Amino acid sequence: MLRYALGRLLQSVVAVFGVLTIVFVVMRFAGDPTLLLMPEGASQEAIDALRHSLGFDRPILVQYLDYLGNLARLDFGVSVVQHIPVLDIVAARLPYTLELATGALLVAIGLGLPAGVAMAMGRGGWLESLLGTAVLAGQSMPTFLSGVLLIAVFGVWLGWLPTSGADDLSALVLPALCLGALSMSTFARVARIAMIDELGRDYVRAARARGMSRLSAVLRHVLRNAAIPVVTIAALEIGNLLAGSVIVETVFAWPGIGQLAIQSIQSRDFLIVQMIVLLTSVIYVLTSLLADVLYGVLDPRIRLAR
Amino acid sequence: MRKHHAMQLLTKLATAAALCAILVAPSLAQAAKDLLTIDAPNDAATLDPQLQWDTDSYGVYRNIFDNLVTRDGTGTIVPQIATAWRNIDDTHVVFDLRSDVTFQDGTPLTADDVVFSIKRITNPALNSAQLSQFDQIIDATAESPTRVLLTTKAPYPVLLAQLVKLSIVPKAYVERVGNQEFNVRPIGSGPYRVREWQKGVQVVLDANATYWRGTPPFKTVIFRAVPDVSTRIADLKSGRADLIRLMPPDEAVALKSNAALTVLTVPTERVGYMFINAQAGVTADPKVRKAIAYGIDKQGIIDALLQGFGKPVGSIGAEPIFGYLPDIAGYPYDPAKARALIKEAGAEGKELTFLTSPAYDRRIVEAIQQMVNDIGLKVNITMLDQASFLRRRQGTPNDAGNLAIGVWSCACQDADGIIFPLFRTGSSWSKYSNAAFDTAVDAARSTLDTGKRLANYRTAYDILREDVPGLGLYQSYAFYAARKELQWQPTPNEALFVMDMRWK
Amino acid sequence: MRRRIHPGLALVAAVLLLIVAVALFAPWLAPADPTRQSLLLRLKPPGTQTAAGQMFWLGTDDLGRDLLSRVIFGARASLAVALLSVMVSGVVGITLGMLAGWFRGWVETVLMRFVDIMLSIPAILLAVLTVAVLGPGFGKLILVLALTRWSRYARVAYAQTLQVAGLPYIKASELAGARTARILWRHILPNIAGPLLVVATIEFGLMILFEASLSFLGLGIQPPAPSWGSMMSVGRAYVERAWWIVAFPGAALFVLVFCVNILGDVLRDRLDPKSTLR
Repeated sequence: MLRYALGRLLQSVVAVFGVLTIVFVVMRFAGDPTLLLMPEGASQEAIDALRHSLGFDRPILVQYLDYLGNLARLDFGVSVVQHIPVLDIVAARLPYTLELATGALLVAIGLGLPAGVAMAMGRGGWLESLLGTAVLAGQSMPTFLSGVLLIAVFGVWLGWLPTSGADDLSALVLPALCLGALSMSTFARVARIAMIDELGRDYVRAARARGMSRLSAVLRHVLRNAAIPVVTIAALEIGNLLAGSVIVETVFAWPGIGQLAIQSIQSRDFLIVQMIVLLTSVIYVLTSLLADVLYGVLDPRIRLAR
Repeated sequence: MRKHHAMQLLTKLATAAALCAILVAPSLAQAAKDLLTIDAPNDAATLDPQLQWDTDSYGVYRNIFDNLVTRDGTGTIVPQIATAWRNIDDTHVVFDLRSDVTFQDGTPLTADDVVFSIKRITNPALNSAQLSQFDQIIDATAESPTRVLLTTKAPYPVLLAQLVKLSIVPKAYVERVGNQEFNVRPIGSGPYRVREWQKGVQVVLDANATYWRGTPPFKTVIFRAVPDVSTRIADLKSGRADLIRLMPPDEAVALKSNAALTVLTVPTERVGYMFINAQAGVTADPKVRKAIAYGIDKQGIIDALLQGFGKPVGSIGAEPIFGYLPDIAGYPYDPAKARALIKEAGAEGKELTFLTSPAYDRRIVEAIQQMVNDIGLKVNITMLDQASFLRRRQGTPNDAGNLAIGVWSCACQDADGIIFPLFRTGSSWSKYSNAAFDTAVDAARSTLDTGKRLANYRTAYDILREDVPGLGLYQSYAFYAARKELQWQPTPNEALFVMDMRWK
Repeated sequence: MRRRIHPGLALVAAVLLLIVAVALFAPWLAPADPTRQSLLLRLKPPGTQTAAGQMFWLGTDDLGRDLLSRVIFGARASLAVALLSVMVSGVVGITLGMLAGWFRGWVETVLMRFVDIMLSIPAILLAVLTVAVLGPGFGKLILVLALTRWSRYARVAYAQTLQVAGLPYIKASELAGARTARILWRHILPNIAGPLLVVATIEFGLMILFEASLSFLGLGIQPPAPSWGSMMSVGRAYVERAWWIVAFPGAALFVLVFCVNILGDVLRDRLDPKSTLR
């Protein structure tokens, strides 16, 4: 088991390294930030001078080795746009993204699981169709539109919630709803399948035969057994939430790394993009590693299949 | 179990949200008098005023620092830290300074700080994007604590216009804390000091009670970063913001009907123009360029798409710009003549590339596309992100596309900052070369004699009119929207001076 | 498992067929040129009729173009982008996934680590980056979408191939000397097609939304060609004054994605009930 985990870990390091390399090369082909930084009308000499002193006129390989060298010393560099250490910039944004991801997961699980449970219990009836439609509807609209509608209704028209920003928990509600709606049906589906499986088992029948109500039988036994796939999926959903947060954070002026990432790509602030990609790929690799190991522990058949 | 836990948390969250809403509402109303909240599209990139030149950084840091000279509401250059200045000869200017200005840490502002500020920004090691605006200054010396002598490479007529953008930074403080720390916790001599900078979220400024020009109008000013324009408008409507920057004209018109809000517009020194590549493709033919000039309905664009917030211009310039000559007429809208010219040039059905980016008004791009199609050409729009757009637009002529639009501002209100970089042979923007034009703009930038300069610009603009390597479209307006209670007259140079604002 | 027609499934299929038909016959169905502007007829509400007798059933957009015609032609762009990107990424991903699952060894290691790499870069960031390098255009957009999504098919194809490869009759045909390509094509692919079809259906819906998101960032279908995504990203600024600009393409896109999602859900229940994939 330990050897398996170590092997995976080694492969993961290679994967992260690959991600960094790919993004580095692609970014450098997309040009450098010099022209964006210059005031309109700067002379060609001034442009060349700044490009030179920022080091973007060197061959890509030299820049790459330089970057790796700094990385090896855990020096993530200083943003050429903001003149602030990249680590500080990303670290300041990370808590917001974690907050939003947590909020979205709570929404997705908090609404998705009960919906899935209810769908399983009312199988074949109108309730299943209704809830099934509702959770699917949540992921059928682009967030840039659902976001603007949520703001218009709850922020401006009703005035219940802040229209933007991240001042307090109330500001989290709308972006979390907007982002969480995307993952709702995933959890509803898992819960529904787990429920249908479990409802047919002997111990549930036995519990009911002992006179327990159907619902409490479900709550006592079934959810406990269905918890593992839900946790695994929650871990895997984090990657999707990070990707989805790019638009949601832009719409709600939520200062997380999604918004930072898109702005940094647009401003060609290479080191910030590299830092974010490093972070997301490490998170991805760790969560999938964790999921694999968990599965391996819980179900030896999978380990053998590898 | 998990479900219970999640539900409990959700309930808690909902309760917390409701509580917050209740608590926040009255405190906002109370604080309103002392607090001004401004929504801008981006967070300040840097607060060090000598590094960055984007509008959103500028909007914040100009309230923290004073400048050597500034512009008043009419655009005239007036004293700020300098009280008077005179030319000793063509390349030497002496500035007298105020003696009563102190930085926010209590140290007095002297000639040493001014000299330090100039030497710092012109030092290539700082990697300042603004270097090119000041690289004509080759020396600065303090003649006394209140007198500074500047030396320029050659006679430099736009020196004062450039110095409007020079913020004075405190020598002692910068040297003590270093550049990186200064950028995060800057100290200036301006009306506001930095209380807190939450990167990517907001900058909170506190009034500098001992400011030499008087008490600042608000105790606290918050600059928030809100990238989406719809969200900025929602912020304004819901009272989360008092003033918002940048919105399209259609949105501005829609807000006008809202009784609680006011739309503030001002004609700026920014010129909407169209670039026409004179060195590549079908537009290398001057007849085709002229045809395009005849084929564009400027007034139609202004009326329908800018909702009247724009003034048609005959050349690439505008009223607030030195060297702009309103009597140089543009091309009238004459599609029949345009079609005839295209036929004459044998260019019917030829394809053009129209480069653009999300930074430019898509509506205008599409409208121009149809107008140019209607005179017999075929325009393909290529939408790139801004960095790629600049790379191609400032790249080789063959890569720069045939058409592009822009809204140009040199923030110097001088033709030297517009037509020189746009059309002078060898400039990265120029896809055009004309020796007579080069001579005229070169001569205009190397004399201090305004009469000679104007004469040269007349020659230059006449040549541009004939060759059409670009086309002036309209003088652009700046748009802001605010709560009705805010009293403020925005200025042509798009500065967000909080000192000029008041609650009614 | 008993095969029962899902209530509403017929309706979903009918709606999808209708949208496909609209896309196919757009030039005959649209009452006007979808790119023809009229600056004097901007933002006209649904049902506006001009003096010349032109009827704008769904109103006009912010450049005075007929919204109905744009919605009709927009179906083409949205469907074409989704269909082509699903096909390209599907073919690439499934091929590589099957190869990895069949050959194992270093092929498996290299390919699957590469899949891991691609999966761990947030798709939208990779798309924005590659658009910045490649530039815009319909073909390049498909390429970008395929580049960012093929890894999802590869992962499923790989896992499924691993399961199927051990089946006795496949072993048998291998021993009988059948060529690898033939085994993969004739025996493995049909066996793993179910879950892959589910993935493709889900991806189809996602790709429509993805194109819309790229349009929101200004990097989708090039103007003036209409796509529902780009129409919505324009129209969202006019929600209050000219609701129709966002409402009609928005409704169309919602219905399309929703129907595709239902289809995906039903297919999943039938073909891959244990799946935990998104």
